Amino acid sequence: MSERNTIDSVLGDSPLTGGEIQGLNYDPISMDPDVRVVKLGGQSLLDRGRAALFPVLDEIVAAKDRHKMLLMCGGGTRARHIYSIASELELPTGVLAALGGYVPMQNARMVQMLLAKHGGLYMLHDDFEKLPLYFRLGCLPVMTGMPPFAYWEKPVEGTRIPSNRTDAGVYLSAEVMGCPRAIYIKDEEGLHEHDPKKHPDAKHIPRISVAELEELDLPDLIVERSVLEHMKRARFCKEIQFVNGLVPGNVTRALDGEDVGTIIYAD
Amino acid sequence: MSDMVTGDGRTHIRSPLMKESLQDREVQARAFSEREIEIMPGVTMVSIGGQSIFDRGAEAILPLVEELGPLMQEHKLLIGVGGGTRVRHTCSVALDLGLPTGGVAQLVGAMEECNAVFLNALLAGHGSIPMQREHFWDLPLYFRSGLTPIAISVPPYHFWEPPNAEGPMPAHGSDFGLFMHAEVLGMDHIIYVKDEDGLYDKDPKRHDDAKFIKRTTLAELQADMPQELILDRQVFQAWPDARHLERIQIINGLVPGNLTRALAGEDVGTVITRS
Repeated sequence: MSERNTIDSVLGDSPLTGGEIQGLNYDPISMDPDVRVVKLGGQSLLDRGRAALFPVLDEIVAAKDRHKMLLMCGGGTRARHIYSIASELELPTGVLAALGGYVPMQNARMVQMLLAKHGGLYMLHDDFEKLPLYFRLGCLPVMTGMPPFAYWEKPVEGTRIPSNRTDAGVYLSAEVMGCPRAIYIKDEEGLHEHDPKKHPDAKHIPRISVAELEELDLPDLIVERSVLEHMKRARFCKEIQFVNGLVPGNVTRALDGEDVGTIIYAD
Repeated sequence: MSDMVTGDGRTHIRSPLMKESLQDREVQARAFSEREIEIMPGVTMVSIGGQSIFDRGAEAILPLVEELGPLMQEHKLLIGVGGGTRVRHTCSVALDLGLPTGGVAQLVGAMEECNAVFLNALLAGHGSIPMQREHFWDLPLYFRSGLTPIAISVPPYHFWEPPNAEGPMPAHGSDFGLFMHAEVLGMDHIIYVKDEDGLYDKDPKRHDDAKFIKRTTLAELQADMPQELILDRQVFQAWPDARHLERIQIINGLVPGNLTRALAGEDVGTVITRS
């Protein structure tokens, strides 16, 4: 029988099942660390309409010449509606992930229209590599916050809701770009020990590590749990920041690098 | 008729998940039931090894193509192909350059797609068709027309490939991608065609004393997982929470007749059952 026609490489014959590779000196590059990867909350911001969104977009536009920004959109109530019905129909997790993805796409298109005169540009996952072009042209690229896993999203125990939704998509975008921090614009002052919409006296947490946060074992979290898992293995994006976009000036301060809101960091 | 709900500054659509953050464990449990629909039952996933079969050239590929021809008429198959040595080389170069994990993942699919085109050229006469991701839902069309789709194996995680706990290489490769593709469509059986008789407790190419594992279960494997695996480790990490895949079979595609027997339901090679 013929031999395997191989090409010599450091990886040799080893199966590609991940892990450290002998003889490899991995010195990762950061693709564009100055970019601000910013999530516009779905339920927290976009579903609030003009009253909440316009002031946030105004701050973003005002910061345009100071910072390169990639805007990524969350889903919101329509995504929850989709997940509800899809769950009742007993559809697989991967199908929910694909279905849920349509809503952040709509939201990104809406934001693009609002930002068109300032250079707002709707982009797809396949356009990710064109970001350097968009930034050099002074554009404001807007895209879905969902990662492209869709039908390939892994099922998990006890729920059909996909683990990697828009928080994860935003986080992984920041990580692959080599950005040290991802910014999430929501409608609360960051993290609290309970959902402040249900417990108005919930205590605010300004800075906390992933390990400490997991120890708290909160029943509810401001961020998708999958993001915390990814952060433990991150090479670049070691911080995520949660900002109340409903308070004027917060977005500008976050874009300028201030620690407003809550920072969750990887140890 | 859905109601709109307002009052907290946001406009909601009435649903059981309305207003929820979706991170709450009790809320997540609302989106769960024991049953899950099978989107395309009666289809078997067949993965043709990249390094194990393709990289051996005509001598390994052509007999398998001969065997596949009639099998494609008899069974509903979804075929996937691995990438092989070119993927390894791509990863070597990319990691040496210091490209991020997501960047490496973005590159890998091209070499697999090459192999899918190769295989399609050989099988087109028997009724194969390459399956692009945008055509994910064209499967019923293919099957009703008597065609066999050839899918790209690696999952489309691309730049968004999560960081790997074990190192810079992407964790989600072609074996995993095809596993997920089969699982989401409700298939219960996947056959990985490689160049070994099946699963061993270590790499038989490197260890003369490697022990063949003829039949085992997922639980038994998890209790004693070999250090060197012929399949992506991610397959075994995803399998416990999968709803449909019951049987993973690893066969030697260099032995004529093995694939025919496996598709006929015989326990040729290694059979791993979920329970």
